[in-house]
Amino acid sequence: MIYDFFFKLTGSNFLADVIQSLLPLFIFILPFALFAVLFERKVSAHMQDRLGPMRVGYHGILQTIADILKLIQKEDIIPTLADKPLFNIAPVLVFAGSYAAFAAIPFSSAFIGSNIDLGVIFIIAASGFVVAGILMAGWSSNNKYSLLGAMRSAAQIISYEIPTVLVVLSIIMITGTTNLLTLSEMQTGHFWNWMIFGGPQMGLAKFIFIPIMIINFVIIYISTLAEVNRTPFDIPEAESELVSGYHTEYSGMKFAMFFLSEYANMFAVSAIVTALFLGGYQSPVGYLGNLFGAHWLIPIEQFFWFTAKGIFFVFVQMWLRWTLPRLRVDQLMALCWKYLIPIAFVNLLIIGLITVL
Amino acid sequence: MKEYFKNAWSGLFTVFIGMKITFKHLFVPAVTIQYPDERLQLPERERNRLYVNMDDCIGCDQCARACPVDCITIETVKGVPGEDVGKTSNGKRKALWVTKFDIDFAKCCYCQLCVFPCPTECIYMTDVFEFSELKRENLIYDFATLSLQEREEKKINYAKFEAEKAAEKAAVKAAPVNKPVDNQELPKP
Amino acid sequence: MNIYDIVFYLFAAITVLSAFFVVTTRNIVYSAYYLLFTFFGVAGIYVLLGADFIAMVQLIVYVGGILILILFGVMLTNKITSVEIKTGSVQVVPAAVGVALLAGILMASMVDTKWRSVETAMPSATTQGIGMLLIQQYAIVFELLGILLLIALIGAASMARK
Repeated sequence: MIYDFFFKLTGSNFLADVIQSLLPLFIFILPFALFAVLFERKVSAHMQDRLGPMRVGYHGILQTIADILKLIQKEDIIPTLADKPLFNIAPVLVFAGSYAAFAAIPFSSAFIGSNIDLGVIFIIAASGFVVAGILMAGWSSNNKYSLLGAMRSAAQIISYEIPTVLVVLSIIMITGTTNLLTLSEMQTGHFWNWMIFGGPQMGLAKFIFIPIMIINFVIIYISTLAEVNRTPFDIPEAESELVSGYHTEYSGMKFAMFFLSEYANMFAVSAIVTALFLGGYQSPVGYLGNLFGAHWLIPIEQFFWFTAKGIFFVFVQMWLRWTLPRLRVDQLMALCWKYLIPIAFVNLLIIGLITVL
Repeated sequence: MKEYFKNAWSGLFTVFIGMKITFKHLFVPAVTIQYPDERLQLPERERNRLYVNMDDCIGCDQCARACPVDCITIETVKGVPGEDVGKTSNGKRKALWVTKFDIDFAKCCYCQLCVFPCPTECIYMTDVFEFSELKRENLIYDFATLSLQEREEKKINYAKFEAEKAAEKAAVKAAPVNKPVDNQELPKP
Repeated sequence: MNIYDIVFYLFAAITVLSAFFVVTTRNIVYSAYYLLFTFFGVAGIYVLLGADFIAMVQLIVYVGGILILILFGVMLTNKITSVEIKTGSVQVVPAAVGVALLAGILMASMVDTKWRSVETAMPSATTQGIGMLLIQQYAIVFELLGILLLIALIGAASMARK
């Protein structure tokens, strides 16, 4: 829909494509990263009874812009013994991986980067590039801490991909689609049609689904949290052990790219959770556009609901960060292999049985 | 099996308890203050920058001797008889011109040991603690109230007086030549 | 030449060039990373052919799984072990002959075959069709493959425990 709009505006397929693909970057990722960094600092500050940045602008709202200006001006340091080409490509690759995920995220019924049939699977596939980029960064820095952090990060992302995929699979089994737009459309209506409350169908199955879906939701939330390397799963950049993991040696804009991709990733996984379990861009109560008969308002409202849900989950990620201590490596693996995966498997089996019957 | 589910449940449940606690703290007013705008009340006997009230200083050098890091440098010149050096606030007559009273705050360890021996209580701690400088020399504070010319003058005066006295005493000997006064670098205040 | 052709040539160039560098580069870590771009290019070509599911599986399995495994292996063994990993080329002449033969056969078959050049519709999503085929027509093969993988998994685990 937004594609048609740009097609009419520019009269060229190619330009419309380019604009549509750049749109998430400029209207979403960059402003979101600016916002999220400040938000994180404010949330962490208030949770520790502090105030956080207060100087630049009212209550420090311009702090991140000042920080970005600082980062741009900084010297781009490349360690002498680092592997230069890989060292330079790695941040780009990591950022490309997390940016690619945004192509399939349905922001509203009118705006989705690319309405591909394999939305969920595409996002999971794109995260593979992030892993490769992280390994690249860690190895090319030629620093033992960086390499250790990269190794931990890759191991963690790969092992936590399993519970994520199992939960995604159970959703696919219920809905029969991997298209995130269709998935979101299916959860239309009110909040009891969301997947976390058993999905759109009515009857006995829905009530059996509710507890299972809530457990699934918890599982996917924990495992996506681990996939973006956030505390309690931040052992790849554990400050007390590894300086700061794979981006220890990076400075200036390259560091900013890692930073940007971390926050983009945080939103991307929240968006997946939202789209799969909490109705995507659907409003929980109904639309103002329908009430007033102004149908052009609906996509904007959907965009609002989607970002609101996404940012709420980003907030929960930050909340958890300032609540929980870091896990040990063995605890991390125990959580994944002993708890998340078996429970997700059992849920998958139950859901499979119910959907077949 | 029962243990397993109990573990899983308690793991999840305790996370929620922790989250509840941190959520409460979101609404606790900040305990930190915005420092340069608001300041904490300093304790009554805080030890910060020294101040010397030169009107009362009799140049007895006791503070300089008490100082464990030798950050106080005092030079005095005796007043020539008939000259009014001044009085302290409790009515004592002063006998010495203080031509140099430097405190190097880069060295000062804020131990307050110089404060106690002072017979006139003219050196004491203030509540100023923000006096950082970009150059270390700027941390040498000059407390002497005499102007630079006056200092020279006092020294020369005293040297002359000494010379006259010596000339009087030992008329046989030739009058000693005026010693050239060290042109000491006197730091700017 | 429309935009799809340009994209195709881009992906083809990425695939071929990076594949060439995989075998020629001396640094084993570099060749592992060139492999990443080869997989990426192949996935792109799959997408252009309308095989979106295969492309995604290519990315997940090869980039997300196998490549990471290779990287782990290469990075952990590259500098730690004293054994020098051979990265040079050996037996250039027989290899060149083999490649020339293979290329000749491929070219000949490409030129000789009468390709059916029918205008095809824009390929639609394939996931559902593949799913149907997997659980209906090829159900037994699919299950057997699943069991094979399971056996491999159990075997790997039991070997690792020793």
